Amino acid sequence: MSKVDPSSEGTADVSNEKAATPPQSAAHTTRRRLIIFAFWAVVVALGLPHWQARLDALLNVHGDASPYHYKVSPAADRSVSPTVLLQLETDDSDSGLHYTLDPWSPTVTVTRGPITPGDDDLLASQLHQVMQQIMVDEHASIALLLRDSPLQTNFRDGSAFTSRFESLQRRTTRAFKPAPSYHLTISLFSGGSAPSSWDIKTATEQYISPLLSALLSISNFTVDTQVQLHASISPAIAGPTFEAATNTWTLLATDLSGFVNAVEWPLSPGIGSGSTINLILYVPHPRQMPLILYGGGNSWIVPQWGGVQILNLPSNTTSHLSAADLEPVMLTFADQLMSLLGVPDSPSSLALRIASLQRQRTISLVLSASSTLGALVRLTRKLQSIAIPKTVAHSVDLTISHLEQACTALSEGNYTAALTSAKVAEAEAEKAFFEPSMVGQVYFPEEHKFAVYVPLLGPMGVPLVMTLIKEIRGLIGRRKGKVKVG
Amino acid sequence: MHLSTLLSLPASLALLTLATVYASPHSYTEHLHLLPLPQSHLHAHFNFTATTPLSAYESSHFRYFPRSLAQILQHTRTKELHLRFTTGRWDDESWGARPLDGTREGGTGVELWAWVDGGGSKTVPEERWSELVNSLSGLFCASLNFIDSTKTVRPVRLFEPEGDHGSEKGGLQLLHGMLPHEVVCTENLTPFLKLLPCKGKAGISTLLDGHKLFDATWQSMAIDVRPVCGAADGGECVLEIQQSVSMALSIPRSMRDRHDPIPRPAKIEDVQCDESKPWNGHDTCFPNAVTDEPAWTLSKVFGHAAKGACDLERNDQAFDVTLEVPSDRPVNATGASELTFPSTTRRHYRLSASSSFDLSLPACPSPVNPMALFTPPLYATRQIAGHGQERGSMHTTLRNPHAHPLTLVYMESLPWYLRPYMHTLRLSNGKQEKLYYTPALDRERGTHLELVLTIPAQSTTTLTYDFEKAVLRYTEYPPDANRGFDVAPAVVRVLSEHGGFGGSYVRTTSLLLSLPTPDFSMPYNVIILTSTVIALGFGSLFNLLTRSFVLAEEVPPSPLAGIIRRARDAVKGLLGKKTGGDEKESKAADAQAGETAEAPSLAKERTDGKANGIANGHADLRERKARVVT
Repeated sequence: MSKVDPSSEGTADVSNEKAATPPQSAAHTTRRRLIIFAFWAVVVALGLPHWQARLDALLNVHGDASPYHYKVSPAADRSVSPTVLLQLETDDSDSGLHYTLDPWSPTVTVTRGPITPGDDDLLASQLHQVMQQIMVDEHASIALLLRDSPLQTNFRDGSAFTSRFESLQRRTTRAFKPAPSYHLTISLFSGGSAPSSWDIKTATEQYISPLLSALLSISNFTVDTQVQLHASISPAIAGPTFEAATNTWTLLATDLSGFVNAVEWPLSPGIGSGSTINLILYVPHPRQMPLILYGGGNSWIVPQWGGVQILNLPSNTTSHLSAADLEPVMLTFADQLMSLLGVPDSPSSLALRIASLQRQRTISLVLSASSTLGALVRLTRKLQSIAIPKTVAHSVDLTISHLEQACTALSEGNYTAALTSAKVAEAEAEKAFFEPSMVGQVYFPEEHKFAVYVPLLGPMGVPLVMTLIKEIRGLIGRRKGKVKVG
Repeated sequence: MHLSTLLSLPASLALLTLATVYASPHSYTEHLHLLPLPQSHLHAHFNFTATTPLSAYESSHFRYFPRSLAQILQHTRTKELHLRFTTGRWDDESWGARPLDGTREGGTGVELWAWVDGGGSKTVPEERWSELVNSLSGLFCASLNFIDSTKTVRPVRLFEPEGDHGSEKGGLQLLHGMLPHEVVCTENLTPFLKLLPCKGKAGISTLLDGHKLFDATWQSMAIDVRPVCGAADGGECVLEIQQSVSMALSIPRSMRDRHDPIPRPAKIEDVQCDESKPWNGHDTCFPNAVTDEPAWTLSKVFGHAAKGACDLERNDQAFDVTLEVPSDRPVNATGASELTFPSTTRRHYRLSASSSFDLSLPACPSPVNPMALFTPPLYATRQIAGHGQERGSMHTTLRNPHAHPLTLVYMESLPWYLRPYMHTLRLSNGKQEKLYYTPALDRERGTHLELVLTIPAQSTTTLTYDFEKAVLRYTEYPPDANRGFDVAPAVVRVLSEHGGFGGSYVRTTSLLLSLPTPDFSMPYNVIILTSTVIALGFGSLFNLLTRSFVLAEEVPPSPLAGIIRRARDAVKGLLGKKTGGDEKESKAADAQAGETAEAPSLAKERTDGKANGIANGHADLRERKARVVT
């Protein structure tokens, strides 16, 4: 049936006669090329860079990691430190060197034999050694804090303490993150319905409040207490096992981490700023009394969360715990609180330990504020389209000025002022980073713009691209033809 | 059933809860009141009351008072709090007056009102209120955080503080919010039970099970915190928290087997037919209403028996459960000691710590006489009337069944997208004594309408007004926009006859308002259409600029056109073979004719050149039209 359509043959004949379209004037061709070129110039010069920027903002995985650099001079210049008072005493009967620490005030009393006029150098070096012994723990902690920061090189003898790092690391991971205020919740959980009351008011006033007032230079504390009855141990653990031989219930060390029944026990964190430190006294159900820990002891610490203590009552019917009953409990709580706050174990003077913690806190706050600022900078570089509100800029300014103040105060030995500035800097840096309006914008769906533009750019792009291809093919074909003719 | 004892039900419950407060500054009591209702229903009212001295509260030493709630109240300086979670409807036509005069129930969904210490400022109470709703939202796993400024009103006459606030009272501000859309369920019950000292592990709270509670015809969970200053114990003020759960259970429904909960029709032999109906026959039966109260046991109605007792410092005369049935009805109680009081209809039980408590009652052929129930103070219903998407009208019917006139406070809290026309407000009967009205601001504040009305004895009053429905923004619609928008119930407070404090509360049901809803695919359609138009314009312009138009025969044939033609021919050939011989012949003849007709024209074209070509046969014209090539 191919014969049916004569026009195909007809046109074929025509094509044989005329191999190509009628020749166009050179001006015509140039004009057409100029038009195509103009369109593509617009696309290439304006459209693509814009699109590229969008793509970059979307797909760029990492910006340049450059946090702000701040110089922190370590608090090691003890010659100007007003926080430690060195008292030198001479004792004619003993020629050796001893030193004692005052438990309540930062005073070191050094006793040595009689001083002879030529001894100055020796005395100075001896005193230096004493101070070094006292401060060795703090030095090591600061070296650890600075270990992974760019300031590491500024610290002189960081490598000397590597042997202590492991124990210090454990202490740091156990302790709460530095915060301007903490909320302390002391809870009595009874497995059964008794005891249902305790003389906690007197007990805290006697044993906890003095410690908290000593720690005021570091953070503020709020305290609340509660009694909870019918508290069952978490079902997640295997539970205590009964030892018939000793007639006791034993908890294994592996059960301790899951002991706290987070689902059922009302241990909601405190409202407002600051982390909540939980101190729990657990009185087992009369059925499970006495409950002991495998390997001895009756208390343990849950890192960065709180401390737990088990109290086995001599009688099942005790419904009230007096302040005297609570004394050992409170002393353990005080100990747990110290470790949870990261108070160093040595030297033996409480005042020196707290002063040392104060300096460590300042450094870690300064580090954390600067790393938060660095993260904010990286974020704004990564998401170019993010709008930064004025409040954030203001917070960043405040952070920087307070960081500078903290560093100045640190180098002057004014540690209380340094901590205050560092706290402000940290709070402002966090505020800037977690600005709610910015957080909202992070989730602005950039991808949707693609979906909106594709129906427009697709149909517009097709003729542009097709024309370009045709023109280039024509160009190449003509050039070949020219070569043949030539 | 004597009328007098039923009359005293709400009062007795109130007295019971108040009387135990002053025993000790730290105290805890719990009580369950059971009362069979007509139509095989059972009303159960659980009450848990704990107190703490204000001094201990302020120094944050908590014993029975829940710490999690207390720290929210302390942080937001809330002095008195009332929180309600309600589902279902109390049928006051059949069950009579509401329990406790409606003071311990809320409107459908969540209702919250609180007195917050404003510190003499205007903005501070709002900030504290916002913190309060957000914290409570987390504590009770409810969407309370959606109570924003558009859902918050400040009632003037509707509520009065229940607690003793002393000199502080002047600085307190009342804020009220409702969430009619909220679905109350198990996730709200669990935190509610966690606030109790015995946590649903001992005592009557073990009966509270989400499966039964939220299957009830009506239930309301309430939390009320207020300071109470008693003269009895040296005048020290205590902070009291009352947690209560009030529910009306359908006995047959809750007695259903848990393993086979599918309802099945009763056997035809067991159905009693109403033989007075004219259509009654051997195959047609109009069943009589079941008036008998079926046999029930506590363990079957609530799923299990009450385990142990939550006995924390209670005195010897305290009792945990009260059952209110006629004295001649046999009741079998196990695991509890029955306390005798000089009362004819009430039986009191005291749970024992070591055993589980169960009650069983045999079927009763002559249960509560509905006529003997206490008449509600007021019947109130509210509807949206009108049609179309632009306007509507609100109709509220208030019926006073008593022989004396009633004074009442009627409050509506309307969303901003319902704009009432206040000039159309009409009261058909009765007298409007006062009107408090705060107009709405779009997206900022809802309408607050509060009226003080007097309704004459034995009469019905209708309150009507027209309103306009706002058109929302595209993003303001919820995912289920066509379901409609919930309008919070109206709250009516019937003032007591002698004035002063008190009064009973009645709430209407919540309403559904359907707003004009757009087609949500519209933005995408607009994008597509606009893009198409722009692309079309651009394409034509671009082609006009860059292409030159010539005649078809001036260019070589497109290879594509050749392929298409060959394919078309092949198909035509196939079709031709399939058809019958005669047809084939005639078609061939036609084709022949076409060929002969077109052949001369082609020849002519070749000779005449392109100028004449256009005027020749249609076939060529068609071809040329189709082929425009550069």
